[in-house]
Amino acid sequence: MTRAAIAVDSGAKRKERTGLRPGQRAFVWGSLIPIFLYLGVFALFPMIWVVVLSFFNYSPVRVGDGPLGLGGRNPFIGLDNFTAMFADTQAADLFRTSVRNTLTFAFLVLVVNLAITLPLAVLVENVHARVKGLFRAVYFLPTISSAVAVAIMWGYVFHPQQGLLNNFIKLIGLTPPKAWLTDPSAVLLGVPLAMIAVIIAYVWMDFGYNLVIFIAALQGIPHEIRDAAHIDGATGWQEFRRITVPLLRPTLLLVCTLTMISSFQVFVIFQVMTGGGPQNQTRSLTMEIYENAFRFQAMGWAASMSLVLFAMVLIVTLVQFRVLRTDWEY
Amino acid sequence: MQRSVVILMVVLAMVMSACAGGAPAAPAGGDDSGGKTVLRVWSHQNPSFIQANEAVIAKFMEQNPDIEVTYEQFEYDQFIQALQTSMQAGTEADVIEMFGSWVCSYAAGGRLAEVPVDVMSYTEAQELFFAAPLDGYYCDGKLYGLPNEFNLEVGGALVNPALFEGKDVPYPPVWDTMDTLREQAARLSEFDGDTMVRAGHHFVGGDGLPFLLLEGILEQGGSYFAEDGEHFTFDTPEAIATIQLLMDMAQTDKLVDPVLFNGEANQPYDGFFAGVVASSFIGSWAAGQGLVNYPDFEFDYVNTPVLFGTQRKYAADAGWGKVVSANSANQEAAWKLVQFMTAEQDNAVTFNGTTGTIPALKALVENPQELLTKAPWVEPTFKLLPDGQYLGNVSDRDKLFYDIIYPALLQALQGSMTAEQAAQTIHAQANEMVDAAQ
Repeated sequence: MTRAAIAVDSGAKRKERTGLRPGQRAFVWGSLIPIFLYLGVFALFPMIWVVVLSFFNYSPVRVGDGPLGLGGRNPFIGLDNFTAMFADTQAADLFRTSVRNTLTFAFLVLVVNLAITLPLAVLVENVHARVKGLFRAVYFLPTISSAVAVAIMWGYVFHPQQGLLNNFIKLIGLTPPKAWLTDPSAVLLGVPLAMIAVIIAYVWMDFGYNLVIFIAALQGIPHEIRDAAHIDGATGWQEFRRITVPLLRPTLLLVCTLTMISSFQVFVIFQVMTGGGPQNQTRSLTMEIYENAFRFQAMGWAASMSLVLFAMVLIVTLVQFRVLRTDWEY
Repeated sequence: MQRSVVILMVVLAMVMSACAGGAPAAPAGGDDSGGKTVLRVWSHQNPSFIQANEAVIAKFMEQNPDIEVTYEQFEYDQFIQALQTSMQAGTEADVIEMFGSWVCSYAAGGRLAEVPVDVMSYTEAQELFFAAPLDGYYCDGKLYGLPNEFNLEVGGALVNPALFEGKDVPYPPVWDTMDTLREQAARLSEFDGDTMVRAGHHFVGGDGLPFLLLEGILEQGGSYFAEDGEHFTFDTPEAIATIQLLMDMAQTDKLVDPVLFNGEANQPYDGFFAGVVASSFIGSWAAGQGLVNYPDFEFDYVNTPVLFGTQRKYAADAGWGKVVSANSANQEAAWKLVQFMTAEQDNAVTFNGTTGTIPALKALVENPQELLTKAPWVEPTFKLLPDGQYLGNVSDRDKLFYDIIYPALLQALQGSMTAEQAAQTIHAQANEMVDAAQ
């Protein structure tokens, strides 16, 4: 075969592989590279930087001897940041408290969120088409609100003296809690009242997302399956339990994963509503990372905690994938 | 393939140039502009600070036509982050407004330039400035900047005349002793059933509580520093007695309910101007800020008594002042500006009068007329200023105050700890912080 023939042949093979002409390929490269660079600079590099920092006792207020300010006054300390998490120190204690709080928050949010959104989605899906859009829009509205505004608003709702909630509780003749957000002794079923208050505010703000996802998934369930169940005499509850929920499993996986990930990352609502108090009962891991990185300039320690947060998200997501995965489609 | 590479190179070049275009000028920013030396100044975004700095900078440029000053401000939280990231990148301003209690950690990290002796020696500075603000800028025998402000958080309280009416408490109150304060302020507290709806005397703030602890220790003749000058002694009888006094004020006298009024909810400043606190233990800066933010709110600023004995002794932060970046290429011009903004009496009057802060410059207290016409509420603080000592090198001031002392004292006041337990907790955690920093 001649070289020209080989060139033509390889060009044809390449076109066969990509399905694109050279001009189109150039366009694709030209479009992808800026995005790749953008992600590389603003996502990939910071991630790598976090991993690197976690092995250093690094503070931005100190000039390092080596490249990127590392070394010298910002020394390499190996795994010390990670072993320090298990030590008997205040820093380690705060870290462990924040991990516990974050896990409590994420799991409770998931349960409460699912308990509200799934039945609500079924109800909304069953109302007349004319008002369905209205319900969807109203329930989705809090989702587009600013987290700071939501936190401030709920702060007023939970205010001990002027708050709507305590006044309503008094109105119906009950004794309200002394303070929802600041009383360290107030606990309900083992969960601090302040944590419950933050969960209520967060679920209120966030449940619209999952609702819309569930409604879309419900619309995808073939009517024939439900009709068959009706013919067989299934009640509404049986239909929900035996048909709707099982067929929503892939959606459940998505919703659980997204809800858990976003719950692990919540910061603003904790910061504005409670500032982590009372007595660190609502101190989340993201708050702990922020405080150490930007308030106390302990960026190496904060970076190592960020990696733990990443590992937590990864593990929980993998477990959810394992438990809720399906091998079928409809 | 070659074409793809060319496109790749073009895109790369475009992105790199776009990034470069967006980057701020380096502090070596002292690049000349039309024969002029260009200085950059950074500060936080408090409106009165901006107004004061702008006025003084304008005057400086008028007197120094060969120097052009660019003044940039940042929202408070972003200011700290901008400082940290820009110092790493070497793009910070030449002159930076910095809180005095942060200076030594930045200086120890090699980020700040030392004040040249021909600009001002430490001995000369001691003649001009009060010890408490100045010593925050003096680290390991070297001076790293000059203060604008004496940051005083003790010795005074905001009082609301409306909440004194009908309580049989004279107004304005003259609190000579703690016994008088406790007895009168208890009458100012109001309850709805068991729930406190108005605090008689609110002292449970993130700054107030730690400073009260330090004052109590010093006034009893104790010290919170160990002999090595680096570690702490917060488990002393003086510390325990101070914590017990604060607990008694909250739990026995019921001057404040620390569950409902603390550093997170109904803070001393916010609670006072919300009308739910009769008297609020706070620095005089709150009076200046209150006049701006609540011009129709009637209040006064009065002295509070010493906690123990008769001689006031207290620790103070070094307040806001000016430092020069070690990266600055225009050290001479930068220090000229710093000296102009801090040590010149007229400019100090402009700064302290506009911001309502207590002067760091002794001359302004010795000849206070001009300042008092602008900020009359600072007068009650004048007699306290010579009694103050700098907080000292506490490793990480914010961590010590907000993460260690305040939470432990709050727990004690809320009844979750005894005074001894709180003292032990503070002692252990504060020393752990020092060890971790070494």
